[in-house]
Amino acid sequence: MSRHSIAVRLLCGAAFVAVVACSESTSPTSKQPVAVLQAAHAPDLSTLARDVPGFGGLFLDHGVPTVYLTDPLQRGPLEHALGAFARGRGFAPSQIHVLAGRYAYGDLDRWFQRVSKEAFAQGGIVFVDLDEATNRVLVGVERGASHANVRSLAARLGVPAEAIVTRDVDPIQYAATLQDQVRPVVAGLQIHFGNFLCSIGFNAVSGGQNSFVTASHCTNTQGGVEGTQYFQSLSSQANSFIGTEVADPVYFRGGVCPRHRVCRYSDASRAAYAAGVSFTLGGIAQTSGPNNGSLTITGTFGVTSKGTAVVGDVVNKVGRTTGWTQGAVTNTCVNTGVSGTKIVQLCQTFVSAGVGGGDSGSDVFGLTGGTSVRLLGVLWGGNSGGTQFVYSPLNQVEQELGPLTVF
Amino acid sequence: MRNWGGAALCGAALLVPQIVTAAPQRPDSLSFAVVAPHAVRRGEPVPIRLQLTNTGARTLNLYLTGRTITFDIIVARSDGQVVWRRLEHVTSQQIVQVKTLAPGEKFEMKDVWKATVDPGDYTLTGVIPTDGPPLRTMPTALRIRS
Repeated sequence: MSRHSIAVRLLCGAAFVAVVACSESTSPTSKQPVAVLQAAHAPDLSTLARDVPGFGGLFLDHGVPTVYLTDPLQRGPLEHALGAFARGRGFAPSQIHVLAGRYAYGDLDRWFQRVSKEAFAQGGIVFVDLDEATNRVLVGVERGASHANVRSLAARLGVPAEAIVTRDVDPIQYAATLQDQVRPVVAGLQIHFGNFLCSIGFNAVSGGQNSFVTASHCTNTQGGVEGTQYFQSLSSQANSFIGTEVADPVYFRGGVCPRHRVCRYSDASRAAYAAGVSFTLGGIAQTSGPNNGSLTITGTFGVTSKGTAVVGDVVNKVGRTTGWTQGAVTNTCVNTGVSGTKIVQLCQTFVSAGVGGGDSGSDVFGLTGGTSVRLLGVLWGGNSGGTQFVYSPLNQVEQELGPLTVF
Repeated sequence: MRNWGGAALCGAALLVPQIVTAAPQRPDSLSFAVVAPHAVRRGEPVPIRLQLTNTGARTLNLYLTGRTITFDIIVARSDGQVVWRRLEHVTSQQIVQVKTLAPGEKFEMKDVWKATVDPGDYTLTGVIPTDGPPLRTMPTALRIRS
């Protein structure tokens, strides 16, 4: 490793500590290391390793400069080398805390490079780090993956077993948004068909067929089945085809439908998942909070019941354009004319909450505690100001699409 | 009424292989204007056209809303008080339509407003919702004569 790369390692390691919140169970102090990123001038670790024999790593322990030394007699050279850094942190050189190190930094760096070069060829390795706060090489292993394989690898590479620490960690992933390709498929994600974008309402099983529900107008033709093909999130992506429209009742005239109009009780359709597409029944993408505009997925809601809402109920939706929005039901069972069409949607529910183009098809639900939710319907419309959305109640969706298992 | 639509631009995506995002309007590559008579008599119909033009050298993908493109027209008095909005109290389908505009291509949205307001000076503003901030024209003046 070059001097530059070693110097960068201190910063990256500190950032890693801060970001991944590595609490090092083998730390002699059992204290949380503090990120060194605050330092105006981080010491060059390669220089330290050269100037201070036995130097084994530098970190801040609750703000106190702390150093591993394999040879305690090297305190003098250490204070000389790190004096300016300590003073910059508000400590005298004599206040630098020295811990008994087992390994020199140069050895750790060599082992780190060996292990890093080979470990990722194995499955389940999340990261490899020269952990300055523990005087060890730390290997993050995905939960459920083998730690023994790491130890075998270390032995094969001539790395002392005691110099390697393994830890179960979660995989580190890019933060996905509602507009990204996400698997398993959950409600609230963007879908693409033709030259249109909508959102997934909810996953369902109908007559044994794995499916998702979205808006009827999110099909090639609103009303009637044309076998619309759906992609998540864009057809231009690899492996994005997820399913085909299989249910979308035609709009009717007469009866309760106003003259010269066509009607339905729901703006909903069902698509069958393509073979091999993974989805989570009852799963709804969750963002960081309601009405904050975030589209970044931070978790998943779980449908645990079906229900209906009354005026005054606070309900939610998650859709690809405005994310998670929440507000009160203002009107129920409203016969609603659809702008620019002859369509009247019968007995729909109005909600005072944010909406935007592309949210059509979104799930509408009520929170019932924790991440459990009660599924209420499918969003399809909104006002021009984006402050009110309209949805089809779930009972009417099932009236037209047939019984649906949704969790 | 005949309409075409138009809205948020971006580097491309569904129809051309570039980045998909609802980007802010870029005045250097997209022109959006409202076209109407300068003056009409009270009670006369006012034909209003919204014109969206790709003035750049690159194809634009516009993220509009509605299966039929949704657009708004706002008529306001000179003091700013709105006297008519095309989309007032309407419910629109919340679907995104990706509309591609080739370099130099223009499309229009049209409607007619009946000028049943007091004589005076008014402004017309066109608005096209997108999946991000809406596109708005600069206001254009309209005089209603008695």
